Formats: sequence, structure tokens, C-alpha cells
Amino acid sequence: MRRFLLSVLIVAGCHSTARQPDGPSARRIVSLLPSFTEILFAIGAGDRIVGRTTWCDYPPAALAIPSVGDGMPPNIEAVAARKPDLVVLYNSGPNVTAAKQLERIGIHTVLLDLNRLEDLGPAARTLGRLTGLEERAESLATAMDAFTSTNLHPPSPTSTIAFVVWDNPPIIIGTGSYLHQLAALAGARNVFGDVAAPSAQVSLETIAARDPQWIAVLSDSAVTPGFAKRQEWRAVRAVRQGHFLLLKGSLFGRPGPRSGEAVKELKALLAR
Amino acid sequence: MKWTLLVIVAVLALAASVVLGPAAVPLNELLRSDIVWNLRAPRALLAFLVGGSLGVAGASLQALVRNPLADPFLLGLSGGAGLGAVIAIALHLSGPWALPIAAFVGALAALGLVYRLGLIGGAALDPRILLLGGVAIGAFAAAITTAIVSLADASELRNAFLWLWGGLSGASWDAVLLVALYAPLPLAVLLAASRPLDLLALGEEPARYLGADVEAVKRRVYLAASLLTAAAVAVSGVIGFVGLVVPHLARLTWGHRHRALLPAAFIGGGALLAIADTLARTVVAPRELPVGVVTALIGVPVFALLLRRWTIA
Repeated sequence: MRRFLLSVLIVAGCHSTARQPDGPSARRIVSLLPSFTEILFAIGAGDRIVGRTTWCDYPPAALAIPSVGDGMPPNIEAVAARKPDLVVLYNSGPNVTAAKQLERIGIHTVLLDLNRLEDLGPAARTLGRLTGLEERAESLATAMDAFTSTNLHPPSPTSTIAFVVWDNPPIIIGTGSYLHQLAALAGARNVFGDVAAPSAQVSLETIAARDPQWIAVLSDSAVTPGFAKRQEWRAVRAVRQGHFLLLKGSLFGRPGPRSGEAVKELKALLAR
Repeated sequence: MKWTLLVIVAVLALAASVVLGPAAVPLNELLRSDIVWNLRAPRALLAFLVGGSLGVAGASLQALVRNPLADPFLLGLSGGAGLGAVIAIALHLSGPWALPIAAFVGALAALGLVYRLGLIGGAALDPRILLLGGVAIGAFAAAITTAIVSLADASELRNAFLWLWGGLSGASWDAVLLVALYAPLPLAVLLAASRPLDLLALGEEPARYLGADVEAVKRRVYLAASLLTAAAVAVSGVIGFVGLVVPHLARLTWGHRHRALLPAAFIGGGALLAIADTLARTVVAPRELPVGVVTALIGVPVFALLLRRWTIA
């Protein structure tokens, strides 16, 4: 585990293209992922964010920051128009291209991995270094690392769960996703623990056969998802019984400083 | 003999798709299993009906436009259906049948536009104009679809493409019943047009001399084949290659007479899609492949072999 963490650290470090570790700290930051916005606020750099995505809705103060679009892919000119000295991007194909474009016009960028809970600590440390707020970043990172390391000894599961991301075709969450980790930390066993990918298409009959007690869906409304009414989904016991966990997208849809809160809420939902 | 063989293959394909699946169901519990009754059986039957419909629609359209490359989705229907589905998701239309109905309406809209274009320059449905119109309307609908997906906020829109690119995950007894009630009419219309379709293969002028009411036949065949495809796309998305490859395979064995060709394409298409879906569900279990991937993986090599045979012969 420690080796894994270390390698994540190194990987995260390698992606950093901001070439001035000892240079001046970033003053005008554009954050292109809701998780980064949350981390920046958590380490006290919230007032330096000059641009965010439409999805960045937490903390509420983030909503006052001008939006530069949905960030998928980033609108280079809208980002550049905010005159940032640092742009924080999630490390993915289209974002790598966008980062190169920004670097070409002299704007520093950093690409960070954020797929699993282990990535939170390193991301916080990197952002701390780039903003000169190492101390607060370090305490956040230490907290995140401690929280994640309970992953090594998660509580023994008391219930079973399946995360359904989409209903037709059915797409579920596998072990590659932080949602799998959140479930484990909350004491629920993901019935698709044998799927290594973050998400995968499966047959409905596999879900029915694995018979999870709960179907978890990311949803911003309090009504059961539309597929609950579909005839073929009635073959799944949890659907027949209405055992849905409606998880708020703004809390559960991203790994971040509030992942501990997410685990607590999931625990409470499971205990109902 | 060849009919017996085809029927045996079809029955085996259906049996396999009920017996095999990612969930282990013991043989002696097969008849009592909820999974088999409510998931596998309707899915197998829906695969068969959709595959068969696509086979017949493909064979008819190939004859109508006299182009071996024609397939049921060539005439803009997939673009229209996709646009309908994406609009339904973007508008947050809920209800279990919102997506299929929206896709069906979208396909019908594309059908209407292409048909109207086909009538340009007189009452004759010129095959070339139909093909061009189909491609143009399809591209236009796809462009609007992509614009909506990139502009709208709903993150679930990305998943609309997954739905569109085919799959029988939505199979239920309701869906089977719907297709079983709907499909016979267009199928009967196409079968009744067998003889004029044979004549049409000779060219429109000769067909007219031999007594076929060419305009009426073309209109009927075009509408029936498209309505059949629209229903297929509504319940299972765009499943490629069945409607392209199966008619050619059937033609190799049953010849060019549509009275035999169309039923063979129906049973063959049904069997192929049932087999492809069984493979899609089982080969990478617990994960599942999109069924269009499997039909292409089976269909393209077969097609390549066929092309070789044709060019050598």
C-alpha cells in the first residue's frame, strides 16, 4: 500500500508541468474539476480561484467565482481570459492537449490524477506546494491519507450494494472507482468487487443473480430513478423492494475533502 | 433440407440463449427461475424478432435501391432515432417508455423527410435520391444530436450514445409483445411484394413492362421496411451488420427469389442476433459486450469471405 501511495505521489509529481517549484506561488488559479475547487478552498486558497467549471458548486462561495464552462474539454480562450497564473486540470487525454495549448501561451498548468481516494493526499500536497500553503495542505493531506488507510482494514461488510450508473445498458461501478472504496468504508460490500474497471456494462441478470440488498444511484432528486418502473428491472429483488440509495451527486459524485462526510452519510442511509 | 437446417440452427440459437447466461442457473431449475423467465426468455425472443426484422428490412431495401451495400439504417433512421432519444433525455422525459417512443418518433421524422426528398422530381422514388437523402438527413440529425450533447448540461446525455449503439438490455415481455403485435403487418406487406421485388431487380423499366406497378411497390416497400426498422431501433438501438450481411448470406443459399429469400432472411437474422447476444452476455461475464460489437465481429469476416467468393467467381 505504501509503495502504491508512493508511486501515486511520483506519478502525480511527474504530471506537474509547473516548472517553478521555488517560484512565486500561484495567485490567480483556474480550477477545472469540482474536487480541485474543494481542495483549494480547504487549504485556504479559495480566494485565489478566478475561474471554475459549471460543476463546481461547493463550497457555496465557489458559486461566486466566474465559470469558464463545463471543462469537458476546457475552453482554452475562456480559461485564458481569466488571466490565470495556474490552471489545475484532471489528468485525462483531452485535458493533456488543453494543458499543452495553455502552456504554449505561457500559462502554467498542472495535471493531477484523482480517480481513487489515495489520490487525494498527493493532490492536496501538490496544490499546497504550488500555492505556498504547504502547511494547511499537509494537514489536509495527512487527514485524507489517514482516512484512506482505513481502506486497508475496512469494517467487515454488513450489507451488499450495487452502484448503477446507467440503466440501459446497465452500467455498474467496479473496484477501480472511489465509489467502491466509499462503500467498503461504510461497511457495504460492492457485489461487483470482481470487476477491476472503474465502471463496466453488465447484464441485468448478473445484477439479479448477485442480488444486492441496495441499489445505489447518484441522483440530485429525491425520487426513485425511472428504471425502477421498468418491467425487466423488476427481476432485481432490491428494485422490487424499492431498496434504492439516492446519493447526492455533489457529495458522492467526486472524491474530495468531503469524502469522509460521504462515507458517514452512506453509513446512515444503510442503517435505516 | 436447407430449410430444415436453418430452422434447427434457429431453434438451437434460441435454446442456447435461454440456457446460457452469466448467472448460473441449474438445468433442473430452468423452468422455475425468475432470471430465465423474466430476463433471458424475453431477451432471446426480442433478439430473434429484432434480428429477423432487420434481416427482412435489409433484404427488401437492397432490392429497392438495387445496391448491395444498403442496410436498414442507411436511409437516415439511426440518425433520427438517436436525435429523438437525446431530446428525450435532455428534456428529462421520464417514464419507462419515454426513450423508445422518442427514438421511434425520431426515426419516423427522418423517414418522413427522406421520403419527401425521394419524391423530388416527380412521384418516382428515385433510389439514388433516396440514398443521398438518407445519408444527408442522417448526417444532419447526427449533427444536431452532437450539438445537443455538447451544449446541454445533463451529464447522462453521454450515456444516450451507449443506448443508441444497440443492445437488448431493455428486453421485457412488454417489449416482446409490442414487437410481436407490430412487426407482422410490415413483414406481410414486404412478403406480399416478393414478386414485384424480383421484377424490380431487373430494373424499373423491365419491371414496368412485366406488369409491376413500380411506383406503388417502391413506396410500399420503402415504408414497410422503414417502419420495421424504426420499431427495431426503438426497442434495441442501432444493431449493425445483421441487416447487411444476413440478406447476402441468404441470397447465396436461397437465390434471388424474394418469396424464399425474405423468410430465410428473417429466420437467419433472428438466429444470428440471438447467437450474438448470447455471446455478448457470456464471453466476458460478469461484464457484457455491446451486441453490435459481436454482430460486427461475426459479420465482417463472413462478409469478407463472401466478397472473396464473389470476386473469384
